[in-house]
Amino acid sequence: MTVTLLAISGSPNRHGNTETLLDAFLEGAGGAGAACEKVVISTLKFRSCTGCNACHKTGACVVRDDFTPLLEKMMEADILVLASPIYSMGITAELKALIDRGQVFWARKFLLKDLDFSKEHIRQHKGVFISTAGQDNDRVFDGAYPVITALFNDCGFEYYANIAINRMDMHGGIRGHPTALGDARKKGEEVVKTVSELRALPESVL
Amino acid sequence: MGIDVLAFATSPRRHGNSETLMDYLLAAMADEGGVEVEKIVLNDVNINPCMGCNACEKLNRCVQEDDFQWVQERIIEADIMVLASPVYCMGLCAQAKALVDRIQVFRSRKYVLHLPVVPEERLGKRLGIFVSTAGQNWDFVFDSTVPSVKCFFHVSEIRDRDISYLMINGVDEMGAVRAHPTARDEALALGHEVIKKLRTLRGEN
Repeated sequence: MTVTLLAISGSPNRHGNTETLLDAFLEGAGGAGAACEKVVISTLKFRSCTGCNACHKTGACVVRDDFTPLLEKMMEADILVLASPIYSMGITAELKALIDRGQVFWARKFLLKDLDFSKEHIRQHKGVFISTAGQDNDRVFDGAYPVITALFNDCGFEYYANIAINRMDMHGGIRGHPTALGDARKKGEEVVKTVSELRALPESVL
Repeated sequence: MGIDVLAFATSPRRHGNSETLMDYLLAAMADEGGVEVEKIVLNDVNINPCMGCNACEKLNRCVQEDDFQWVQERIIEADIMVLASPVYCMGLCAQAKALVDRIQVFRSRKYVLHLPVVPEERLGKRLGIFVSTAGQNWDFVFDSTVPSVKCFFHVSEIRDRDISYLMINGVDEMGAVRAHPTARDEALALGHEVIKKLRTLRGEN
């Protein structure tokens, strides 16, 4: 069975450093046989979470917009890739808006308890975070990781890898980086192979 | 000399925990003589996310014509800036992050164009306060909000040492912060304390 991969780009800047890095990753993943789909948040119409907590009671979000089908699609993918540049030491407001709307998963998992992922499911579903940052600062991604972790946990993905490249300003952009694009391609290939292999194993082995 | 306080309520939930906690703080500040408080509720203004176009690196202004255009002038004028956000999914709520990201125009002014963000005589005389609430009880629940908060204040010319943090965890349901044993007292004490601190920095005490 084909491995499905959903990649969500949270950069408002089309074809910038983060999306280019994501595209390299997708080339590798597609080459390894995954059915890849890329969604660019800046092309969608959406609202942020309104904090109404209705989902805590109903398990559904009252906001209906382009995020509604996207959130459903996230749950169906074998591999979920979230991509965002670092703005002001965190992910972009656009990707944060999507993650905040993921509150519905949290509500279902922890309050309503009608969403449950077996440990086999979690092992077979991988999450990857792709990011770039301008700064020459090794801590520049630290604020992003816990937010990404929260989303992956809430929708049943094991946090598989970060492809997080800083010093974009120094390298003159991602294309000026000596190894990043090649490494991303390999990582894309690798995660698809890993998921294919895990899916071929009998459940009792997982 | 009067003190100009600019406060942002960024939570999409009006009069929820983070806004209530900030209101205690603002009330204490307003109790001190000569303090003017302005509260901006992000729900009521239109501040779009940063488009990442980097035009501000050349133009020294943001090309998006929305409420941020007047809000940024207020940020420059304020003596004390308060940012209140709930923790959503381990970070600032997306609405707060949109405001924080638009501060990029100051970063460009400061680090790319090498122009002053605030007049030189006001450097070291601006204070920042981050007010936050979180439903989870974890001690580390605020950790990943802090780098973005520091960034926001830093490019607004508020030094790290001049930022105070009022962060209360374990409050989730509407109104929970009102029932918290110490939150209100902490907020009131901090409100008085920062006004004194600013007056000391100005040499007025």
